[in-house]
Amino acid sequence: MSSRRWRESSRTNMSEEQITQLLSTLRQLLPEIPHSHSHKASSAAKVLKQTCNYIKTLHREVDDLSDRLSQLLATIDADSAEAAIIRSLLI
Amino acid sequence: MRSPFSLKQEFLKKWILGLRRCRSSKKNMSIFERKKVIKLSADVAMASARKGTTCWSRALIADAVKEGNADKHLAEKILGPASERQPTEKVPVGAMAYNKRIRSKKILKRSSVIRRTIKCAPQAARPSSIVKTLVGKRRQILRSLIPGGEFMNGVSLIEETLDYIISLRAQVDVMRSLASISKLVNLN
Repeated sequence: MSSRRWRESSRTNMSEEQITQLLSTLRQLLPEIPHSHSHKASSAAKVLKQTCNYIKTLHREVDDLSDRLSQLLATIDADSAEAAIIRSLLI
Repeated sequence: MRSPFSLKQEFLKKWILGLRRCRSSKKNMSIFERKKVIKLSADVAMASARKGTTCWSRALIADAVKEGNADKHLAEKILGPASERQPTEKVPVGAMAYNKRIRSKKILKRSSVIRRTIKCAPQAARPSSIVKTLVGKRRQILRSLIPGGEFMNGVSLIEETLDYIISLRAQVDVMRSLASISKLVNLN
């Protein structure tokens, strides 16, 4: 009985460790926001909130860029020669 | 970790391919339609660059060609003929390790069924303090933002979020570069 409980609790600790690790990776990805009183350790809830906001920002940027590109590419004919040039420029 | 540079290359290649497939009908498109083509082909290209290894990418593509989706034909055109589509290797993120090769055509035909069964390593919510923060409104919002998020839980949700953010950033970077280059070409 006790061994099973030990096993279960160790499994819980593993997944908690996993989550902590993943959250710290997530925190590194998020853009730095200067707080007036910045705490070193931001809570998991704060990280999630920043993540949601960041994803929304990225969605808006994609939408914005699609708008701009639809106006710009109107004048360029996206045939193979030009696409190849653009591709080689970006690489 | 996959190199971000090769991800951008893969995305760009697929995006241009998708755009070219829509070129024939592009002649007299309104700006609104053109924007839709650009955005959809970018999203689909990003998802297929993952080659079916992540849940969100599979969900995005399945969503795009779902029955009843207004832009279904556009998405199918972008993806190309079934013979050219890559067989997506369904490797769920997480502990469950079953390897099945699923033909893209089958995914299309049973996309409605697949959507329900795309479960990414369902992990029971363990009663730990950190996992508790994942319950509630924040988790709901996060799930609504990620394609296929309703099917994810706990650890797999965060893993998918990480991958999704990395992919979105690569997508934004490539699109921004293309926009600035197009502007320069236009000025000449």
